Amino acid sequence: MPSRMFFFMGKGGVGKTTVASAFAVGSARSGKRTLVVSIDPAHNLGDALDVELSGEPIMVERGLWAMEVDLERAISSYLEDCSARMKNTYRHLMVLNLDRYFDLIKKSPGIEEYALLEVIKELSKVEDYDYIVVDTPPTGITIRVFSMPEISLIWANGLLEMRRRILSKRRMLENVRGPFYSEIEGKREKLPSAEEEDPITKEIMAYKEDMLRIRQFLSSKLAWVGVVTTAEELAYAETKRIYEALRDQNIALRAIFLNKYLQLESPPPELQGKIQEQERVFAHLREAFPRVEIFKVPLIRTSPRGTEMLYEIYSQNLHRLEALVA
Amino acid sequence: MSLREALAKAFRKLYCTLDSIGCSMREAATSLIEQELMEEEHVFALITTSLFSGMPSPPTDIVLRLLPHMEREIALMTRKSEEFDDVFSQTLARFDI
Repeated sequence: MPSRMFFFMGKGGVGKTTVASAFAVGSARSGKRTLVVSIDPAHNLGDALDVELSGEPIMVERGLWAMEVDLERAISSYLEDCSARMKNTYRHLMVLNLDRYFDLIKKSPGIEEYALLEVIKELSKVEDYDYIVVDTPPTGITIRVFSMPEISLIWANGLLEMRRRILSKRRMLENVRGPFYSEIEGKREKLPSAEEEDPITKEIMAYKEDMLRIRQFLSSKLAWVGVVTTAEELAYAETKRIYEALRDQNIALRAIFLNKYLQLESPPPELQGKIQEQERVFAHLREAFPRVEIFKVPLIRTSPRGTEMLYEIYSQNLHRLEALVA
Repeated sequence: MSLREALAKAFRKLYCTLDSIGCSMREAATSLIEQELMEEEHVFALITTSLFSGMPSPPTDIVLRLLPHMEREIALMTRKSEEFDDVFSQTLARFDI
């Protein structure tokens, strides 16, 4: 049975890591085998759990494992693997010096998003845990990652159509002129004219299957998405945009966490404006998202570190989530 | 020559004429499809290797997955880039000049 994945999204600095790790600790103590993963390039999951983390899962306490994905290493290893396959396949690499281009690709815009999608794909296949809690990068990157399967499918369909036209024309000409051959560096090979013989078509179709699978996964009940934000007008506007962006990808927003919520018995006059603003934002959110659960997570005196403090946050503010996600 | 022989000769000549017209039409159609195939292959190679030539390209991951299978396409693009200086003669060749 594949693990359920819980994505905690939000802007930088709103407290995604705190809320995500609090949920992870609480779930683990409720009996769910839980892995909490940070895919945010600016990791601080280890700081929140007060544990040194690496690219492999480490047991934090009974039922809870944690890891921080090293994106740079993931990108390098992916490109090295590709480069090695190409060097084995043909010698043009030496002439074109594609190694130099791979160094540029590592730095090219968008490569981080592809690497993140690969990580999510791999995590979606893991069955060792009941829950996989994902501390995501800031909103902009995460939204782009979630929209990549759809964009990739559009390209894959376009390339597949082009390739099918090429194969169809080769078949037509084969009936008249016989099979096509290519000769590269003294090596003569028959060119494929049927989809079953063409490695390019097969690769595009395999890629398409991958993207369809991940798109379906993200829209399914196995993927749960919550947004961590603060009770401020600007943050409210951003939450609306996130909701719409997710809806465009057929991904449901399940919960909103209003973090750093001021809950003061006798608020000083200078904070009255802030308190009124957060009440307004809460009311707007209730109206705008009637089917989305909203949690208030109060501002605490010290930044939580370690599983005990995180469990306290969970038990006081997030335990309701357990029944909702079950 | 009897009427029968004359008719047979005329029909044979007509058949040969029609056959050679058919052959040249078939040849023209085949050449056209060959040209179309060549252009389709060039466009496919251009799009899938555009990552390396600074043009907008498909998602990087699909390009990287296809690259190990695209030896011929890369050779095609390399040859095309070598022939860029002689676009004029290529165009003339297309019109059989």
